[in-house]
Order: sequence, then C-alpha cells, then structure tokens
Amino acid sequence: MSHSDKAEIFNKNEAKVNWHDKALWFVREKRDTAAHKVKGWEYLRELASGIKANVLSNLDEYLIEFEANAQKNGIKVHWASTAEEHNKIVHSILSETNAKKVVKSKSMLTEECHLNPYLENKGIEVIDTDLGERIVQLAKEAPSHIVLPAIHKTKEEVDELFQKHLGTKPSKGNPEYLTNEARKHLRDKFLKADAAITGVNFAIAETGGFVVCTNEGNADMGAHLTKVHIACMGIEKIIPKESHLGVFLRLLARSATGQPITTYSSHFNKPASGTEMHIVIVDNGRTEQLSREDFRSSLHCIRCGACMNTCPIYRRSGGHSYNATIPGPIGSILSPGKDLTKHSSLPFASTLCGSCTNVCPVKINIHEQLYKWRQIIVKDVKQPFIKKTTLKIVGKVLAQPKLYAIFGKSARWLITYAPRFMVYSRLNTWGKSRELPKIENGNFDQWYKNRNKNG
Amino acid sequence: MVTLINGIKTEIKMGRESILNSIKRHKPALVLVPEINLNLFSEDIDLLETFKHNVELVGGNIKDLEHLNDLNSVIKKLYPKAERIVDEVSASNLGTVLITKETDPHTLENVDLAIIKAEFGIVENGSVWISEDQFPIRVLPFITNDLVIILSKKDLCLHMHDAYKIISDRKRTFGLFISGPSKTADIEQCLVIGAQGAMSLTILLV
Repeated sequence: MSHSDKAEIFNKNEAKVNWHDKALWFVREKRDTAAHKVKGWEYLRELASGIKANVLSNLDEYLIEFEANAQKNGIKVHWASTAEEHNKIVHSILSETNAKKVVKSKSMLTEECHLNPYLENKGIEVIDTDLGERIVQLAKEAPSHIVLPAIHKTKEEVDELFQKHLGTKPSKGNPEYLTNEARKHLRDKFLKADAAITGVNFAIAETGGFVVCTNEGNADMGAHLTKVHIACMGIEKIIPKESHLGVFLRLLARSATGQPITTYSSHFNKPASGTEMHIVIVDNGRTEQLSREDFRSSLHCIRCGACMNTCPIYRRSGGHSYNATIPGPIGSILSPGKDLTKHSSLPFASTLCGSCTNVCPVKINIHEQLYKWRQIIVKDVKQPFIKKTTLKIVGKVLAQPKLYAIFGKSARWLITYAPRFMVYSRLNTWGKSRELPKIENGNFDQWYKNRNKNG
Repeated sequence: MVTLINGIKTEIKMGRESILNSIKRHKPALVLVPEINLNLFSEDIDLLETFKHNVELVGGNIKDLEHLNDLNSVIKKLYPKAERIVDEVSASNLGTVLITKETDPHTLENVDLAIIKAEFGIVENGSVWISEDQFPIRVLPFITNDLVIILSKKDLCLHMHDAYKIISDRKRTFGLFISGPSKTADIEQCLVIGAQGAMSLTILLV
C-alpha cells in the first residue's frame, strides 16, 4: 500500500488526526523556543553538519580508532554487515552468557534489524523499557515516531492496553496513574533481567566510549542492573572527538523535544567490574547510501525527529503511513536507498516546503533529496497511469503559453459557472474538505497588462 | 554449539573487513573537521541565577544553603519519610544503608534516598556532571526513589563546550550529565515526573 492509501486510513478519524497534528506542532514550537535561547544556534548547526561531513569522509579510520580504544577499555567490539548478522551476533552473546531475559532501551537500529522477533523465536524474552516503546510493544505495533513512539495512541487506548496486559484498574486514561503502573511493571523486569540492550547516540573515536541519552532512565536501569550490556550502533554514529559532544548534545534534545538536554546523558567508557560490555557496529545498507553522492548527507542524521514534528504531511498522516522503520521526511530519503520499489511513494509524501531542512540540527537538505529521489523513481519505478498521463498533459500545457491561457480561461469559467457536483467531483481531491477560492477579476496576465496601461 | 559460535566469529571478521572496504570504496574526499570558535558562544550572564532557573525548568528543585552545617537538617526536612538512605557525601551523615563496590546493585531496589556530590553544574541546561567516583554502584542515582545532589556554587560552567574541557582529563569509566528527575510524556504528550529513574532531584548549593 502506498503512503497516500495508508494516510487515508489514518485520516478516517478526524478528531485524532487533528490532535496528532496539533500535538506535534506544539513540540515543534517548543523546539523553536529552546533554539532561540541559545546564542550561536545557527553556528552550532553548521559545526554539527561540518563534523558529520568530516566523519563520513574518514569513516573507516574513525571506526578503526574507535575499536582500538574501546578494546583497550575492555569493551568487546563486533561488526555486522547486515541485519541478520547483527541479530546472530546479539543472540550469540546472549547464549554464551545464558541470558534468557533481556531489557531493551530505545534503539531504532534494532527495530530496523527486527531483533525482537528474532530473539523471541529463540525463546528469549525481550522487554522494551521506554514507556512509549512498551506501549507499542504491548499493542504489537511498530513505533510511529522515533522520539515519541506511541504518539498515535490516545490515553484511553493505553488505559485499555494496560488493563489487559498489566492488570491495571480502569482510569479513563490518567497519565500519572498509568506511568506509575508502568514504572512498577518495568522495575520488576529490570530486576529480573539477565542482559540489557541499548542503542548508541554517539560513539567517540578518540576515547572508544559511547553516549546514550534518555529521559526516563531506562537505558541505565537495564545496563547497570545486568551482567551483560550490548550496545548496537550504525556505523554513522561515530564522532571524532569527545569535545564534539558539546556541539551535538546542545542540539539533540532542543531539536527533539525542546528540552535543553535529556535528563540522562550517560557516558559509557569501561564495563563495571564483573560485567561485560559489547558494541555491535552495523552497516546494513549504510555504506551503499554513502556511495550515493546526492543522498550521502542523510547519514548525518542524529535521530531527533524534528523533521517529523514540523512536516505538514507527517503530522496529518501519522508515522505508520510510511510503512518504514524511520518515518517522516528523513525516513523518506533513507528508505528508498534500501528498497526503491517498496518505498517508492515516500518521496512524494511531501509538499517540498523545506521546513524539514530548516529545522534539521545537522543541516541535511532533506527536501532537495526528496526531489532528487522523485526524479530517480519516475524513471525506475512504474508510475500509476492517471498520474503519468496527467503530468504529461500538464507538462504540455505549461510549455505553451497559448494553450495555458485557454486552459486557464476554461478553468475559471468552470469553477464559476459549472454545477457544484461537477467542480467538487472525485477528481478534485483539494475540494474534499476545502472550498476552492473565489475567482475574481480575470487572471494575472490581464491584471498586469491593465496595470501597465494605467501607468 | 562450538561450531555455531566459531561460525559466527568468522562472519564477524568478514563483517569488519567488508564494512571497512566498502567505506573505503564509497567515502568522499577528505573534508576537514571544523574548528570550534568558542567566542561565538560566550555570554555575559549571571551564572548562578541562570543555573537556578534552568534547574527548575527541567523539573528539579534547587536550594541555596547558608551553612554547610545545615545539610542534615535541610535534607531531613525535604525528605522526612526517607528511611533507607545511601549517603556518599562527607559533609552529611544521614546514611542508613552502607554500600561498597562489591554490593549487589539489586539490593538497592528499595533505597528511598541517595545523597551524592556533583563535580560541577552546567548553566545553559541546568544539568550536573556526576561520575562513578562519587558513587560506588553505577545504578544508584537511577534506582533510588529520590536523589539529592550537593554542588558547590563555585563549580559552574556556562555551556557544554566548557563542560567537556573540565572532564577531558578524567578517569574514563562511567559518568553522566543529569538534569532533573526522570520523566516521560509518552502518554498523549502529558509530562509525568518519575518514569523509570529517580522520582525527584534536589540540588543543594553549598
């Protein structure tokens, strides 16, 4: 199903769409407030973009440096070319330590690799411990947003889920009660877990350490209560020096939620005595994206989600409509690189307004890349007949001023005089929930000529 | 089982080489790392007042102590019900639970209050840097129900760039910037304080 088909399903519940739209816009506004308080914000974005460009141009050397320094500190480093290799490695670490119960904090990479079902098939219990992720896990769904995984769920839906799975009392969706019940439930899971899996926000070549950011404290609860900590990272998470964290940590939370910094920014450099720390470095299509000059900078992404919060299409279509691990504008330039046919509708899920590019903390030219993917897709992937024919006609009309004038005139006449059922027919998707503007005083051409005459 | 593990080990090696080779083939020409001009971030602001404001912004409590001797009584007043207390600060003596590096972290499950010292605070975001040097068990600041952090008023820096300069020579094991209590807004964007970590954070300035 294409993005627009799935978006149509999401749009059936108008009240929910309106809430979703406003809630995310509110997060975008909080981002603005936070950003405007920082002196040199634009300079910070430039630095972040510059550092990431350097990283990509020297990525192999930085990974080797990172590995050597991590190993010096007693961290075990693993490499996986594909999702399957990643899953096998994680499973082998777990089975070597006889771990049966795993607590996991947020990691989009493990979502991308479908680690949970892989481990569950091997008889291992995997509990997502970020509240939003736990909610979607209980609902047997995927996250619909990379920072706010359960943004598509109402509090009443969460209430029902918790009644069913955690045995809570009906509370009409009281967020404080539900969060507290989840806290108790997850505490129990943390205390009984054998191993913890976390993502990685930044890995530092110079020190061999890595940083994990959360607001809930779930990554740390898992990592410090278990004997085995496995951190999974894409190759692009590397940064050269620890001092560069100053740039990225100032940008990340402000761009994501408007907080000046996440509650916890934990710096892991050495395993605690008697415990193991593993890092799995994963490619899974990233080096291929690195080879595409036009799309390379999509690997700058630090997963803040700002492009989703600001996107008029994302806000009104919901994350699940994208049918991809990473939804929204950034997902729409990453996913076609993985499977062009499956994700061919995503670069069209945009107005190309450029708002994503404007808020991106690492200055990825997202809307330009969306446009570039479109050009590749119309060549390589078969387009629907109506779309192809319409665009052909429009192309011809726009190329010939006389034809354009005739079309314009007839359209203006039709909108004014044709019966409503014709103007607002099925073909007019714009008119589905809006009125067309009133036509007044001819067209621009006439107005311009008259204006010249009148001096 | 052994062959399986061996099989995976060969693959791991292949993974490493193939990833590095692929990067070599595909990476662009070297782009230099930008120098950071810190002058562009300097601000002439009241460090203490801004820090206090930002601690409250991130949901923390902050209190200015007049005398270091008040520490015990102030903490008792703030957390009158706390019974199981881990106290890692020499200036106070409220500890009822003693922990060492050998303590099983699971036994901290019911700790009501932990008192630890921060190395310094960061004005721009109301966070403080704490590290393993100040608490023998890593899980302590997360698993405790409430957390009190003692910070010297003199130890404030303006922004994260300065913060990383201060910790550049540390013994790198485990440490973190912590700002306010644990929180979540995962249910309909309603902010709830007290997710999986500490339910409250109080910073006491001395």
